[in-house]
Amino acid sequence: MIFLESIISAILSSILIASTGYYAEKFRITTLSFCVAHAALAGASIGLILRVDPTYSGMVLAVSSAILLGIVLPRIQAKEVLTLSLFSFFSAVALIAIYISNTTVLATTTLSMVLWGSILAVDVNKLVMLSIVLLAFLLYLRRFKFQIDSMIFDRDLAEAEGVDVYSHTLALLAFMGVAIALALRITGGFLIFALLYIPIASALLVFDTAKGQLMASIAFATTASTLGFLVSYTFDLPIGSSITIVAASILLLSAVVRKCRFHSILGSRF
Amino acid sequence: MRVRLERVYVAYSGSRRPTIRDITLSLDRGIHVITGPNGAGKTTLLETMIGLLKPYRGEAYLLGVNTKSRNVFRVRRKCSYVPQDFMKPPTEAYTGMDVIRLGLIFNRDGLNSINELAERLNAIDLLEKPFGKLSGGQQQKIMIIRALARNPEILLLDEPFSSLDSDTRRSLCEILEDYRDRLVVIVSHDTSKIGRIADGIVRMEEGRIVDIS
Repeated sequence: MIFLESIISAILSSILIASTGYYAEKFRITTLSFCVAHAALAGASIGLILRVDPTYSGMVLAVSSAILLGIVLPRIQAKEVLTLSLFSFFSAVALIAIYISNTTVLATTTLSMVLWGSILAVDVNKLVMLSIVLLAFLLYLRRFKFQIDSMIFDRDLAEAEGVDVYSHTLALLAFMGVAIALALRITGGFLIFALLYIPIASALLVFDTAKGQLMASIAFATTASTLGFLVSYTFDLPIGSSITIVAASILLLSAVVRKCRFHSILGSRF
Repeated sequence: MRVRLERVYVAYSGSRRPTIRDITLSLDRGIHVITGPNGAGKTTLLETMIGLLKPYRGEAYLLGVNTKSRNVFRVRRKCSYVPQDFMKPPTEAYTGMDVIRLGLIFNRDGLNSINELAERLNAIDLLEKPFGKLSGGQQQKIMIIRALARNPEILLLDEPFSSLDSDTRRSLCEILEDYRDRLVVIVSHDTSKIGRIADGIVRMEEGRIVDIS
C-alpha cells in the first residue's frame, strides 16, 4: 500500500512540478522559482524545530515568500541580486534549523524527507492534497488558457494588451510554492530542481513547439520519478537522488538527440 | 484626454540618467507622429503612454487611469500597441492567424475583421504560415493586423513603416484615415512617410519635446 501511495505521489508531484516549472521558464521567473524552492526547504526545516508537519511549515514559507517576492520584485531594480541573496539566506536558515532541531540522526524519516526525500514520507492525506492542488492548477490553466498563452508568446505585448500579467505571475508563484512544499516529501529540498528544471531543460532541447515542450516536460518528469522510485526501492538509495540521476540521464539523452538531429539537418543540406 | 502626461521623467532600470525628462503632453484624438533622431526617447515615450514604463517623477494617465495604478490593465484592453522590430525566431510554431487570435482575447468580435484587414494589407497568404518563418516585414504586417483587429480606442505604433513595402504602406495610411476620431500615435524617425496624414507632429531631442506642431 505504501508502495502504491508513494509511486502515485511521485507521478502526481512530477506532473505538478514539471508543469509549473515549464510556466516558470516561459514566464522568465526560473531564478525566482529556485528561491521559492529554498524557502520551502527552510520552512520545512523550521517545522522540525517547531514540531509541526514540515510540509505545512514549508508550504507557509514557500507561498508567503513567493507572493512577497512577486509583489516586491517589480518595484525594485536589483531583482537578480535580491533573488540570489534570498536563495542563499533560505539555504542558511534551513541548515541552521536542522542543526538546532533535536533531530540528531540524519537517517530519521522526517529529516531525510526534508533533505533528500523519502518513500516512507508519503501518506494518504498528502496524496489527497496533491491531487486537489493538481486539479486546481489544471482548472486555473483551463480557465485562463488564452491569457497564459498570450503571456508565453510575448509577456510585454500581453501586458500592453490588457492581460493581468502581475496577478498571473503571483498565481503561478503561489501554485509553485504549494507544489514544491508537497513534492519536498518525495525529492527532498536540495533536489527539488531535478523535477522543477531538468525536465523542461530536456524538453527545450528536443521540441520546438510550446505544446510539445509542455507535454515532453511532464512525460520526462513522470519517467524520471517513476524510474527513480524503482531504482530507490530496488537498491535502497535515497529517492530524491535516484530521481535526479534519472532526470539528468534524460537530459543527456535529449542533448544527444538534438546533436544527432542537427547533424542530420546539416548532412541533408550538403 | 485619452493620453495625458504631466511633467514625466522616465529612466531605465540601472540608469540614473532619465531617458525622457519633463514631458508634458495631452492627446485626445487624431493621428499624431512622434519624431526625432535615434536615441531621442521616442519609443520610451510610447511605452510610457501604454504604461509598460512607469515614470519615477510626474504622472501618466491612459484613458483617465494613472499608469502606476493596479487597474491600468483593464483600460489597456481598449488599446493596441505594435512594438518596434517585433521578431520571433523560426522556432516559433504559432501561425500568423494564431498570433492574431492571441491578441483578441478581450475583443472576440475582431475575428470577423481579420480577413478584410489581411486583404487590404496584402497578407492573406501569411495567415496560415508559421509566424517564426515569416520575414521581418511579414511579421510586422501580422502584428499590425492584430492591433487593428482589436478595434482599439488608442492605437500606438512604433516605426510601423520600417519594413513595409510602398503598397502596404499606402494601404496602412488609408486604414489609419478611418481612425481619426480615435487616437493614433505613431513613432517614426522619418515624417516623409507619414507626415501627410498626421494631425500633429511631436518632435523630440535628447529626451525632451522640442516642438509640437
